[in-house]
Amino acid sequence: MTNYLIAMATFASIYAILALSLNVMWGMAGMVNLGIVGFYAFGAYISALLTVNAHAPIALGFLAAMLGTAAIAALVTLGIMRLRDDYLAIVTLGFAEVVRIIAENEIWLTRGTDGISGIPQPLKHVLGSDFNLAYLVFCLVIVALTLFVLERVRTSPFGRVLRAIREDAQVAAFAGKDVLKFKVKAFAIGGALAGLAGALYAHYTSYIVPEIYVPLLTIYIFLSLTAGGIGNNFGAVIGAFVVVFCLESTRFLIGVIPWLSAEQLAALREFLVGLGLLLVLYFRPRGLMPEPLPKLVGPSRGARSPD
Amino acid sequence: MGNSFITRRGALLTGAATIAAPFVMPSSAFSQSGPVKVAGLVSLTGGGSPFGPNSKLAHQAVVDEVNAAGGVLGRKVEYLAEDDATNPEAGVRAARKLIDVDKTAAIMSVWASAVGNAVLPLCWENKVMMLAIAAADTIAELPHQGYFVRTQPHTALQGEQFAAFAIRNKSQHFYLMMPQTPFTETVFKGIRALCEPKGIKISSVIYDAKKTSFRSEVDEMMRAAPDTVMMGGYQPDDIVLAKDLFRASYKGKVIGFAYGVTPQFIDGAGKDAAENIYSIEPVPAGGSTAYARLKALVKKDALDTYICQAYDHVNLALLAMAKGGEASGTAIRDNIRKIANNDAAMKVDNAVDGLKAIAAGKEIKYAGASGPCKFSDIGNIIEVTFRVNQIKDGKIVEGVQA
Amino acid sequence: MIEKIIQLSLNGLMAGAVLAVPAIGLTMIYAVLRFVNFSVAAHMAVGAYAGYMLNTWLRLSAWLSVAGAFVAAGVAGIATDHVALRPLRGYSALTIAIASIALNLMIESALRFTFGGGPRDYAIPLRRDWTFGFLHVGPQQVENAAIATIAMTILFAFLMLTITGKAMRAVADNPMLADSKGIDPDRMARLAVGIGMGLAGIGGMLVGLDTSVDPLVGFRAILSVFAAAVVGGLGSVPGAVIGGLAIGLSEELSLLALPATYKSAIGFLAILVVLTLRPRGLLGAKAA
Repeated sequence: MTNYLIAMATFASIYAILALSLNVMWGMAGMVNLGIVGFYAFGAYISALLTVNAHAPIALGFLAAMLGTAAIAALVTLGIMRLRDDYLAIVTLGFAEVVRIIAENEIWLTRGTDGISGIPQPLKHVLGSDFNLAYLVFCLVIVALTLFVLERVRTSPFGRVLRAIREDAQVAAFAGKDVLKFKVKAFAIGGALAGLAGALYAHYTSYIVPEIYVPLLTIYIFLSLTAGGIGNNFGAVIGAFVVVFCLESTRFLIGVIPWLSAEQLAALREFLVGLGLLLVLYFRPRGLMPEPLPKLVGPSRGARSPD
Repeated sequence: MGNSFITRRGALLTGAATIAAPFVMPSSAFSQSGPVKVAGLVSLTGGGSPFGPNSKLAHQAVVDEVNAAGGVLGRKVEYLAEDDATNPEAGVRAARKLIDVDKTAAIMSVWASAVGNAVLPLCWENKVMMLAIAAADTIAELPHQGYFVRTQPHTALQGEQFAAFAIRNKSQHFYLMMPQTPFTETVFKGIRALCEPKGIKISSVIYDAKKTSFRSEVDEMMRAAPDTVMMGGYQPDDIVLAKDLFRASYKGKVIGFAYGVTPQFIDGAGKDAAENIYSIEPVPAGGSTAYARLKALVKKDALDTYICQAYDHVNLALLAMAKGGEASGTAIRDNIRKIANNDAAMKVDNAVDGLKAIAAGKEIKYAGASGPCKFSDIGNIIEVTFRVNQIKDGKIVEGVQA
Repeated sequence: MIEKIIQLSLNGLMAGAVLAVPAIGLTMIYAVLRFVNFSVAAHMAVGAYAGYMLNTWLRLSAWLSVAGAFVAAGVAGIATDHVALRPLRGYSALTIAIASIALNLMIESALRFTFGGGPRDYAIPLRRDWTFGFLHVGPQQVENAAIATIAMTILFAFLMLTITGKAMRAVADNPMLADSKGIDPDRMARLAVGIGMGLAGIGGMLVGLDTSVDPLVGFRAILSVFAAAVVGGLGSVPGAVIGGLAIGLSEELSLLALPATYKSAIGFLAILVVLTLRPRGLLGAKAA
């Protein structure tokens, strides 16, 4: 059982890094990214392919994953940075799906739906059965480091400019800030983190397959971030742990509710994730921004009467 | 099967692992008390779902029988089953639970090759034995250190059967349509190698099994006008493909794997679309006593190869553990050939008799319901026969001359 | 080659007609409520399953079942909007859009819980394609295109000729003015959602009639549906029709160069191109 808990905590840490990545892109730079799973996949595949095909050292795999994903994130930003929020949502969602389709079909590169197995796990031979615990510690250290760095970024001049851009890009540009450069940088940082998370996952489970990278995962991360408090780095981490532990504990419901099939329990779990996100949106009246966003709308469209 | 480098490496690894094992095995493997644990990782949902429930049934029936007769090594046998949903990701998570939480010694009857491919590394890392149905050649070629055997002939052998069918029927253009699996490329290559020298044109396409319509792929195929189509998918995509072939009024021969062309396939595709479709099937040891025993045990009149294999898996696992004197994956690995490959020894067809014989110090050869149950170094089954089936009037007719 | 192009174009137009229906639904909801409702995907599945139940359990004909799908999905749409999304009115479009994603997941999971994830088939006979020279076309494809066209015609008639329809167009064009003219925004919102999701339901069932039904029947089409609506201009109903046909054609013609599995990527590319070069799409109003 301890092994199981260790595994869950490890997944939670990986999701925490993803949540932090989303926080940088959205909470700090104001660009919602429904396609974060695409960057997650990117990092995982880069590291997996380098270490399995080219027998590169794992550290190199991690580095390449972070740099490669940062690069692709920067590129993506160029395409999407002028889009409105809801358009951005559609486009980033589409991006993740396209990444998954490519991963599934370019068999020569990614081994398609068979996935890549036998991804090397760092120091596995040395650690033996202690590997799981050691890896958890490794992940937690990375989470802590990332938190530290991101908090510094948030309070730095760079972070302040990002916040200004998030509030109103036009004003920021008027004040002489090169909005494009900042957004690209922010997205690249977020991308690097997502790529790091991807590599962490790949070298932990030693197996990746396109099926993992589905929108459901994006929703988990959104839930983690919104539950923890957007814009709040610590909240992102705590949110991720809470979400993972809640979800995994429902797996044991199967013993308690025997009349439900495994598939029904999986459906129930997913239902609860959706419900969770919805409830978080209700009970965080500040909506999805850490400070209320003074959006300039005319008289409210649609429903006018209070509920 | 594989080149000599791989078998030598496999042998080296196996040898090294066997010597090193006692020194690095976690102490829990030596526990002399508590139940003996074996697990089935079966497909209750997804493409393998026609067969998963039967595997579970066979496993449980044997375990119950063995427990009633006193268990293994004086201990009760505990059986667990998890659904792999016929997909590797779910399979890996389920396997982790079985290995990490439940501490099973064996993972039995993995059906889909993609799942086998994904789960096997977990097994050998944790010294858990995999006894599988999954047939992709690549699985046996992984460095599994001996923690793998399968009772299903590997796909290169099956591919040969398709080629033989095309040659026998003097096909001129054989169009191969398969979903992506670990064995797709091997099968294509194997068929080409056998058919092209005989002047048969081979075309191939790999389709996305999750699609709900293969209209475009069938269009492309019809333009090529082949006389024989190989429908190499699992049951769900076979159903969709068969319907699209019917819609397009394809008039040539169609042949598939028996694991896709099942009675439920006929239900799903409908009598019209299913009519005349051929399939290749490894022949279960229909005449064997094990087969007859299994029929009585699970109370079924007809058995497919998969339920037979599941029956053989659990018998082999328990007998090997008893032979090795230890309820661990390593014991199964080290002793399975001792109870399965030994033709000269006394034949047993079930665990209860075999356990008694082992306890009395006798050598045994387990003769299974799915076939001879003899394993090569890397875990492939040796000595297999096949037959061709055909659907006539909504029913599968076994062993036709074709 | 020319034959292949004609065949693909034919397939594309028929597929495009079917695609246009849920695209209209999405765009209508956007026009009146000003947010992208991602739960259109789940409502497509709701319609498909409702039609399935009517067709296989009650033995209603395909056409009647489609009508049933419209009603079921429309009612579901109004209900889910009222319970899940209405409480968030007044928040940013993005917030509500994300809420609609959560809602989408909930509905799809509920369907999976009830019906399982496996494919279901309608109780319609399997029919061979009709051939005209080198062209071949499935009878179901033709029927679907016909049903789609009829549904769209009825909708246009409603929007152009009836008072309620005109009122809805007024709200879409200029909500402040419509409000001051006494048009009840709540009622229009409900109507838009009901009709919009009902159309999505029809779309889902049509897809299912040609293939099969499962909880993800809407999700698989959603990128193409978005693409159709965006290309035509979010908020423009005629735009959605043109967008649907355009996307349908592009996806089929892409088979000349790409494997069939990349079809959704076409939709994504179209969205990207349009949003970068002409965000209001072909017929949309200038973005607010």
